Amino acid sequence: MSATARPASPPEVFRLRASNYSLLTLRLLSGDVQAVLPALGDQFRRAPGFLRFAPIAIGLDDLGGEQVDFHALIHGLRALEILPIGVVGGSQPLRAAAAGAGLPTLRPSGQRETEVEAPSPVGAPPVNVAPPVMAEPPRPAMPRTMMVTQAVRAGQRIYAQGSDLIIIGSVNAGSEVIADGNIHIYGALRGRAVAGASEDGEARIFAQNFDPELVAISGFYAVREGLSSTPIGRGVQVRLDGEQLRFDPLG
Amino acid sequence: MAQVIVVTSGKGGVGKTTSSAAIATGLAQRGKKTVVIDFDVGLRNLDLIMGVERRVVFDIVNVVQGEAKLSQALIKDKRVPGLSILPASQTRDKDALTKEGVQAIIEELSQEFDYIVCDSPAGIEKGALMSLYFADQAIVVTNPEVSSVRDSDRILGVLQSKSKRAEEKKEPVKQHLLLTRYDAARVERGEMLKLEDVLEILAIPLLGVIPESESVLKASNAGNPVIMDTESQAGQAYSDAVSRFLGEERPHRFLDVEKKKGLLGRLFGGRAA
Ligand SMILES: Nc1ncnc2c1ncn2[C@@H]1O[C@H](COP(=O)(O)OP(=O)(O)OP(=O)(O)O)[C@@H](O)[C@H]1O
Ligand SMILES: [Mg+2]
Repeated sequence: MSATARPASPPEVFRLRASNYSLLTLRLLSGDVQAVLPALGDQFRRAPGFLRFAPIAIGLDDLGGEQVDFHALIHGLRALEILPIGVVGGSQPLRAAAAGAGLPTLRPSGQRETEVEAPSPVGAPPVNVAPPVMAEPPRPAMPRTMMVTQAVRAGQRIYAQGSDLIIIGSVNAGSEVIADGNIHIYGALRGRAVAGASEDGEARIFAQNFDPELVAISGFYAVREGLSSTPIGRGVQVRLDGEQLRFDPLG
Repeated sequence: MAQVIVVTSGKGGVGKTTSSAAIATGLAQRGKKTVVIDFDVGLRNLDLIMGVERRVVFDIVNVVQGEAKLSQALIKDKRVPGLSILPASQTRDKDALTKEGVQAIIEELSQEFDYIVCDSPAGIEKGALMSLYFADQAIVVTNPEVSSVRDSDRILGVLQSKSKRAEEKKEPVKQHLLLTRYDAARVERGEMLKLEDVLEILAIPLLGVIPESESVLKASNAGNPVIMDTESQAGQAYSDAVSRFLGEERPHRFLDVEKKKGLLGRLFGGRAA
């Protein structure tokens, strides 16, 4: 041991890491907040609970020179239980306005991050810009499946954001399971199941014992009352065929 | 350290207080120092069923609010040594209980007792949450009917997310199912849910099945926990449940309609699970 007393290095209290997350993006096709919010509200009434408290990015690429009242937008989204955390794309003034309302600009972590900020002189020949060096090679989007090993009980709600959802036990009456991808239930489905919650019409619902209160895929739903001709109590797969939910026996 | 057991259900009137009294008494009869706490502030039932209503001076709210010492509010049972009751107040409401106050009471009781049985009020509001917050084990009281099962399911979810053990990410609250007011004849006629259906939905271990029995009302009118009525089926079933709780093996009884010994009975009788 050395005799010189050295101050012990203080314990580490944080670490900074770059991470990639997959986020839903709400692409605004109109800058008129008073038109967007009611339309969103309608959409969510069709699939209650869908997206609830999900963080989302707001895409500005489709807006031209329009102004957006970001304060009103944030307020309206929160009222719908959607949590905007930043903006992507769009013009510099729009982004500045968003930042002023507390929505920072998010940088997509893909190849498309090449957009140059400085206005290029009109008519200038396209400059051949080398693709930017990326810190990490882009990873193929491979969302992990969310796995629930217990029964989902009355009053509980589970949301698998950006992934499939596997439930080993049963989904009991009075509970709700939601996934952006497919939902697989190895027990009984007695509650509500909402698959393809971010508008994925390809998503499906599989249940070993099909006895639901409600099923929905990509916003199209059926309540139990409308399921009189489906094989209740059996293994069933649900998929979307056009605008129609189809129920087929499993296996 | 004492084990804290909450007796809970979500739905009202399913037999929580009856069960709390029986199980606390049964544990004390087996030599475990046990206290049973009435968390149903505003209604106050446990003291009646335990037959101590005439001895109540102070209650849990007085203790939480510092108006009385815990030792002044505890009532010692005169029949079973090692059994005490902490009554609820009839004149206050549930907001009179604070988490800190209840925690202090439970910590103090832990010094002296092996088991602290908490009789929960119905619902999933503050009073019920308070009674389950400190639980190590939960006895979920359910009747064989759809709404009761649904509420029990809900309470199981609450135990998973709102108990102290859940909040502190400790080992989860140990859950037991106690199916009460089980009427074998009505189950057989399809008017009530079968044991296996309830077990399938709730998916937790079965502590016992208590048959519907007139002796329960008689016992509570007399202020005797029904477990002391060793003649009655309900008393025996509670006794079995306490033994199972303490780790003994006991076959489940009283699941089937009592049959005459004839051939018809044997042909059409159900089978014990
Ligand atoms: N096994 C049984 N057989 C017949 N009656 C019973 C049985 N168990 C409970 N009861 C009756 O059901 C009623 C409600 O019981 P109890 O007060 O124990 O329910 P609780 O769940 O504590 O109600 P609360 O939610 O109001 O606190 C009482 O009248 C009681 O006598
Ligand atoms: Mg009660």
